[in-house]
Amino acid sequence: MRAEPAVPAAALAAIRAPFDLLGAETVDAPILQPLGLLLDLAGEAMRARLFVVQAAGGEETCLRPDFTVPVVRQHLESGREAGRYYYEGKAFRAALGADQPDEFRQIGLERFAADGETLEADAEIAALAWASAAAGGRGDLTLHLGDIALFSAFLETQGLAPPLAARLKRVAARPRLLAAELTRAGTEAPVDDNGRLADLLAGLSEADAAGLLEEVWSLAGVEPVGGRGAAEIAQRLIRRAEAARAPTLTVAQAEAVRRFLAVDDAPDAAFAAVRAIAGKSADLEAALAAWGRRLELLAAAGVPADRLRFATALGHAFDYYDGLTFEVRSAVLAPDRAVAVGGRYDGLPARLGGTAAVRAVGCMVRPWRAWAGGEA
Amino acid sequence: MSAPLIVAVPSKGRLKEQVEAWLSDCGLSLSVSGGSRGYMARLEGLPGVQVRLLSAGDIAEALDVGEVHLGMTGEDLLRERGGDIDARILLLRALGFGRADLVVAVPKSWLDVETMADLEEVGHELVARTGRRMRVATKYLVQTRTFFARHGVADYRITESGGATEGAPAAGSAELVVDITTTGATLVANGLKVLSDGVILKSQVHLTASLRADWGGGQLAVAERLLRTIEARALAHDSAILTWPADPRDAQVVQGLVARGATRRPNGLLTPVDKIAEASIALAGAGIGPVTASSPDFVYDAGCVSYEALLARVEN
Repeated sequence: MRAEPAVPAAALAAIRAPFDLLGAETVDAPILQPLGLLLDLAGEAMRARLFVVQAAGGEETCLRPDFTVPVVRQHLESGREAGRYYYEGKAFRAALGADQPDEFRQIGLERFAADGETLEADAEIAALAWASAAAGGRGDLTLHLGDIALFSAFLETQGLAPPLAARLKRVAARPRLLAAELTRAGTEAPVDDNGRLADLLAGLSEADAAGLLEEVWSLAGVEPVGGRGAAEIAQRLIRRAEAARAPTLTVAQAEAVRRFLAVDDAPDAAFAAVRAIAGKSADLEAALAAWGRRLELLAAAGVPADRLRFATALGHAFDYYDGLTFEVRSAVLAPDRAVAVGGRYDGLPARLGGTAAVRAVGCMVRPWRAWAGGEA
Repeated sequence: MSAPLIVAVPSKGRLKEQVEAWLSDCGLSLSVSGGSRGYMARLEGLPGVQVRLLSAGDIAEALDVGEVHLGMTGEDLLRERGGDIDARILLLRALGFGRADLVVAVPKSWLDVETMADLEEVGHELVARTGRRMRVATKYLVQTRTFFARHGVADYRITESGGATEGAPAAGSAELVVDITTTGATLVANGLKVLSDGVILKSQVHLTASLRADWGGGQLAVAERLLRTIEARALAHDSAILTWPADPRDAQVVQGLVARGATRRPNGLLTPVDKIAEASIALAGAGIGPVTASSPDFVYDAGCVSYEALLARVEN
């Protein structure tokens, strides 16, 4: 394993200072995290980057790849509604042969609140990441902003068939599937062999459809295994046939999606481009108005306007972000080596057993990348 | 400077028999030292080779880390070593046996799942509805992960399986499997079907070189002899010698045949096996005959593709 060199104490203190100003509660997280939970949240693709540790006969654990999940769990266990938590320590991710350390220091903050004040919280956390990163002394930083939810609002403006819109939202974070969907634009929907069975099932009640499917199984000599019941499979056969018959994207719609996802510009220009591509829509206007407010708050918090960019496709390795996303990047470090990253993840606490009302946003800074004398 | 060329050969089962038969067909019989249970051997007629008898999985590992120079094992096991395996090993020659497919198989009762795209959707719906991820039983973690990622399937979990993977869905410990199959009969018997685009790898046994092994002690010269012999035998299987009484009228016919892959001999031709009939009929048509066809034991080409490929990789 390769560890990052240490950042000099004075530089580290400067990078840490903006966090101290917020008066958050200091927390720590166990270095050993339950492997199963992290894979459930992040997906199997994450496994290759985790250091798996297991004592003889014990549960499989891994070295913490970040602090967000353990901090969310601690917050939920506390039973409190709101909280600001500040942490600092080593995190571990396998570099997979890349010329990068596997062990690195993170300083971060997670903020939880009930409904309301989400824009203020977004701006506070993004401005914090900016201030901390900038304290490292690099003069070449840019704050890249994005919004996972904006894609949904944009799709609403395109008048797509519901199954198609659902599929696009699902594949938005998966470049290969998205590219396939866009390439298919304007072609005929493929013919589906199970279409006739699906037509039969569609005319029945849910219980009768399940019963019919069971008869089909027994006629074909199929022993049902593998957890999914007849009702579930029958309903999906119907949806699948509907989706197959639903029109694919038109060439014009695909072009609009491509242009939307390519937007990466100074915020005002980016939002003007989004409006030009999408046309009029109340939802989209509301989302863009919220961005206007966020930008005001960021300016008030001292983030220079000429250091901001907005990209519609800004995504992250963990797929739990569902609103604002941001990264602070240095001009001399590759885009995948962000100095700081963060975003809103309102859906994650509920997946970890919390109530749906908890709103969450957080950020993390890598001091070795923030410090001007650090990573090159 | 003459360290031995270390060659790993499967130590048991059908694979051992097949590799031994193939070697002795090449005129390179194994002679096991230390009795029939020995784990070291020599190749008759090829000094400078030390044979190690290992399990197929251990051969893949030994090639990967460079403990042996050459080895014969399944591509599925080599690919499972993970990372950029093609930077560490070089597949020299497919041997045509030990064929098996690594496939994604789902319950036959899943009438709504035919492709990886269906699987992606089912996995996504499951996690959205229940928070649980679809479980995939396999012992091929690396290839499963790569293949699923290539198809954009993200919402799943791997359940590591030691043996009898295909029984996992029936036992309730997984929803689907990624496993090796030769005929598919075991999968069918367990109520499973292979997805239409679910073949991850069509595997067979390959003669494989380790690029991490130390090739600096004269092993290349021994490897060249071994590879030339192997290629000469393989080419011989694919070739035939045609001879006929010398005849001045043959020049034009022979020219045509040479243009299609044959080589001129003093009183005949060396031709690919599948061209025997065509060539003989062409000769007969020109009034030349009788034509005798025989098969050579070895055909040594001027070049040796596998050796040249190896040389190019280990010299850098």
